[in-house]
Amino acid sequence: MIWRELDGELVVRNAETGSTHLLGALAGDILQALIEAQSGLTADDLVARLRNDTASEAQWHAAIEEVLTEFERLGLAERAA
Amino acid sequence: MNVAVTSALREPQALPGWTSPQWEALVRQARSANLLSRLAAVAEDAGVLPQVPAAPRAHLEAARVVSQAHAEAVRREVTQLRKALASTGIDIILLKGAAYLYAGLPAARGRLFSDVDILVPGAALAEVEAALMQHGWATTHHNAYDQRYYRRWMHELPPLRHVSRQTVLDVHHAILPPTARLKPDSAKLLAASRAVSGEPRLRLLAPADLVLHSAAHLFFNEDLGSGLRDLVDLDSLLRDFGRPPEFWPELSARAVELDLARPFYYALRYCRRMLDTPMPEHALRAAETGRPPLGLHRLMDAVFLRALQPQQRGVPDRLAPLARQWLYVRAHWLRMPPLLLACHLTVKALRRQEEGTVPGR
Amino acid sequence: MIVADLRHEELARTLAGAGLRLRTGPFVSRIRSRLPALCDTIALHYAEHPLDDAGGFADFHVRLTAPRSLRRWLRPQVLFEFDDTAAFHPLPAGQAFPVLEWGLNWCVSAHCHQYLIVHAAVVEKSGSALLLPAPPGSGKSTLCAGLVTRGWRLLSDELALIDPATGRIIPLPRPIGLKNASIAVIRAFASRAVLGATVHDTAKGAVAHLKPPVDSVRRAAQAAMPRWVVLPRYEAGAGARLKPVARGRAFMQLADNAFNYHLHGRSGFELLAQLVEACACYELAYGDLEQAVQACETIAAQP
Repeated sequence: MIWRELDGELVVRNAETGSTHLLGALAGDILQALIEAQSGLTADDLVARLRNDTASEAQWHAAIEEVLTEFERLGLAERAA
Repeated sequence: MNVAVTSALREPQALPGWTSPQWEALVRQARSANLLSRLAAVAEDAGVLPQVPAAPRAHLEAARVVSQAHAEAVRREVTQLRKALASTGIDIILLKGAAYLYAGLPAARGRLFSDVDILVPGAALAEVEAALMQHGWATTHHNAYDQRYYRRWMHELPPLRHVSRQTVLDVHHAILPPTARLKPDSAKLLAASRAVSGEPRLRLLAPADLVLHSAAHLFFNEDLGSGLRDLVDLDSLLRDFGRPPEFWPELSARAVELDLARPFYYALRYCRRMLDTPMPEHALRAAETGRPPLGLHRLMDAVFLRALQPQQRGVPDRLAPLARQWLYVRAHWLRMPPLLLACHLTVKALRRQEEGTVPGR
Repeated sequence: MIVADLRHEELARTLAGAGLRLRTGPFVSRIRSRLPALCDTIALHYAEHPLDDAGGFADFHVRLTAPRSLRRWLRPQVLFEFDDTAAFHPLPAGQAFPVLEWGLNWCVSAHCHQYLIVHAAVVEKSGSALLLPAPPGSGKSTLCAGLVTRGWRLLSDELALIDPATGRIIPLPRPIGLKNASIAVIRAFASRAVLGATVHDTAKGAVAHLKPPVDSVRRAAQAAMPRWVVLPRYEAGAGARLKPVARGRAFMQLADNAFNYHLHGRSGFELLAQLVEACACYELAYGDLEQAVQACETIAAQP
């Protein structure tokens, strides 16, 4: 996977699917966190890492879950069994 | 007859001396035969690419970009295939282009890939098909007649197309259909197959079997449109595998064992005639067991040599389309018993009329 | 030698015989045709384009013929052949010149993968290139024609050829295709511009071509580094609204409008990323051509 940060967003090319994606700020942060972590991260890990005070913990959870589901659909990430 | 492509492939070292008009004809012919990227690879391997004049070299470079993209696409496809079939525990034997790629063979250099072909045991076919459907592959040829044709009479599932990637997968369970006159034994092919290092559950045919499958495919395949491309594959395999002398007697014996002596004879004959493939005399003598009767031999020479040449540019060879048509009939004849054949061809002809499709070039 | 150096009969004879070897940017197209109307339009639009020798290398071999059929008596047609094979269905003979132009575009976009090719207009000022990537109907050709008639150099109205080795845009100056209302707009905007006859009832409506400026044709060998990306959008009634756009969005627009992005794989990604990183990126909604041209002048004037 290769990526470039452009004006606060991330363009990513997934060599496995050959597809290119534009990720907004949150999605970009999540992807970068997943790449940096050698083993996988849970949704809780991600919330802990990324959240700030702009929204509640529940809202962060929901937003992150949504992004992860989309990542799975696009082949950018896999849920470990 | 214009033979620029075969001439260039036989003697790439001479390419820097070609004139602009010669390059013009070569690029056009090679493109028409789907061999432009192969030509680029051959020129590169011969160390002469930098000396090709800039204008034709740009076309070779463009073709190289395409073949590289194809190779990456095949790797992605095979990765997805492995994931999809992992639950079945079945070993997948890669055939043709995908096999050459995963074996790292020179035959994969500059090659274009139109789809992925795999071989699985006949007994596992239903399970394989179910797993593939679950992972997004769908059948093509929805017509009930075609479904029967492929499944019952041929040696493969109807081609499968992946719904989102739109890539095509051909799942074979034998290399020639059970209804064919010749009877190569798939169990022997499976037994001799080798694992691909680093790729669990992926296998390749043994070298002699790769050669013989390519020969069977070329000389029995109904669509001789890619004939020269397939001959180039064969030439590359023979040059690479044929370096150790002991390969040749093994190959000859295997041809007889698999009941593929006839296509083997044609393979050696036309590879040598058109591409100067080096081969020991004893191999040619051994292949004589597959020689057809004299009348048929003369006819096949005329037909194959015409059909295997890329379409002549500027001076139409009026016989070439006829040659191709005859081979279409012949290929079907060898694969299906005549009664079935007549029935099948009639249905195909009727359907084309209904659809109003114009035959491709 | 240029096309204008040939007398009309010579041009017609060459087209009907061995073929006219016409150089456009980096390519030579060998064009054959016996259609008299085509000879006239080539003489008009390609007057200043160079001709190549018979002993040279032509990249494309195309022929425009009247197909042999019963129809030719009732409604004459024109057929575009690439390497002696029909590339498209026949069209009415009156559309011969648009068919040539679409055919020549197809030759490049279908084969010239040594470049990353984006569906975009490209113009140049002060040595830097302005890219206008957009799908059909966005008004990019109208804006391109507007800029070119106000002194910008034309690199291309349809095909941005990006050289992977240098990141530069390679010029391909050819007639600019205008559709429907744009034709009248450009006639009004630039009264001295040379516009060919309007061809009606094509698949895209009415079509006319604007002859490329002599200077653009003469400087076809001068590549240019891209410095600005503008995403145009025609909006009736709008003046001209220029807004900076996030580079990520510009990247995706370029990739979406590229003919062969996926063929270039990883290199294509890196090439486009480098391109947008080096460019100021905008979107421009416009309904008034004069204001739109002014907006582009403003961008170009910035340090």
